[in-house]
Amino acid sequence: MREHLKACMQAVLEGDGERAEELAKLTLERKLPLLEVIDGGFVAGIREVGRLWEEGALFLPELVMGAEAMKMAMGVLQPALEASGGKQEKAGHVVIGTIEGDIHDIGKTLVATMLSANGFGITDLGADVPAAKFVDEAEKRGAGCIAVSALLTTTMPGQKKVIEELRKRSLRGKVRVMVGGAPCSEKWAEDIGADGYAGDAVSAVALAKKFMA
Amino acid sequence: MNQTVLEGFSVEIDRGEVERLLGGSGAASGKQGERLEKAMVDGLAEAGRLIEPRGIYLTAAGKDLPGSTIFESLGRMAFCVCTIGPAIEERVSELSSLGDLLGAVILDSAGSAAAEAVARHMDDAIKALAAAEGLRTSCRASPGYGDWDVGEQRALFALVDGARIGVTLSPGGMMIPRKSISFAIHIDRNPARLRSAESCRNCDMDTCPYRTRDPGR
Repeated sequence: MREHLKACMQAVLEGDGERAEELAKLTLERKLPLLEVIDGGFVAGIREVGRLWEEGALFLPELVMGAEAMKMAMGVLQPALEASGGKQEKAGHVVIGTIEGDIHDIGKTLVATMLSANGFGITDLGADVPAAKFVDEAEKRGAGCIAVSALLTTTMPGQKKVIEELRKRSLRGKVRVMVGGAPCSEKWAEDIGADGYAGDAVSAVALAKKFMA
Repeated sequence: MNQTVLEGFSVEIDRGEVERLLGGSGAASGKQGERLEKAMVDGLAEAGRLIEPRGIYLTAAGKDLPGSTIFESLGRMAFCVCTIGPAIEERVSELSSLGDLLGAVILDSAGSAAAEAVARHMDDAIKALAAAEGLRTSCRASPGYGDWDVGEQRALFALVDGARIGVTLSPGGMMIPRKSISFAIHIDRNPARLRSAESCRNCDMDTCPYRTRDPGR
């Protein structure tokens, strides 16, 4: 078992999706304990990917490959887990999107992928999303966090509108808001009353975990 | 005012620049290193096929920029808009929705490097124009960088007909296609030192991710 967990972790760490998928199938064939394999193998791998990224030892495509490998393994294990009645403890649900007027998409998608790889449920609303839509979806999904991306100084004020919309609906106490995107900063998050700022996909995961703890 | 359109030219997408935008050249080896290398090579090749470099510029006095005060004391300026066209960002969205995020991030960065190469081509054309008259040019300044408020993008587009090369502004003032660059250059015997994206050499933020690899250019 220990060797199997190590191999699962390694597959994610090396961004080897095919190997991760193969190991996930092997987990099912051997009837190994699913939760243990997920947490001790694949999740441990994606955590290590995040740590190495933060240290600057990995570059962006390697981070993406790690997240993709994790996704491929979970694509095999998740249905089996659900069928067996087992339940992986979800890290929480995050509604994510790029604010209205801004059509930058890829950075936000990367954050969504890393959050998903780290066990968060994700509703990705895409780009050019009105503030009210974020709140509608958060309400519908019972999300604990809204992540709002803005890549332009002209669209950044839209992030504040999301917070105002939450206040209007008396949901501010229930839903945390993180902001991100090139022109954003800790100070900007503080100025508009957001709960935090994430400068990249890995820090977004750390922040979401902090929110949901 | 006469506006000059340049199109049909080619630019080289610098792999080193693409790697810089992606945060380095990576450490993957073996099978994954090969996969990564293939993704880079394929991404750069696809970007090369998809780009349609175009640019438009005009020369005018600094005070001709409507409603702006930033260049009003400067004499002759060149104002320019250039683009690589919409095909790369459409393909990036497609790859992203197909779940190929690796291909998407590489192509997106290749598009950014290509847009920068197109801006350099336009910059060179303006330099040549100035040189033919015995003049020199400043470095580029773009709305949203340094002292130039991004809100003045509209003023620049009121002067330069970006639509002639397919570049327009969204209601929020964002250039569409996204992989487009607008800038101004001062033309003079002793051009002003404009603060711009090319002023990295004079900036103390050594670890800035947007720092250009060749700031002295």
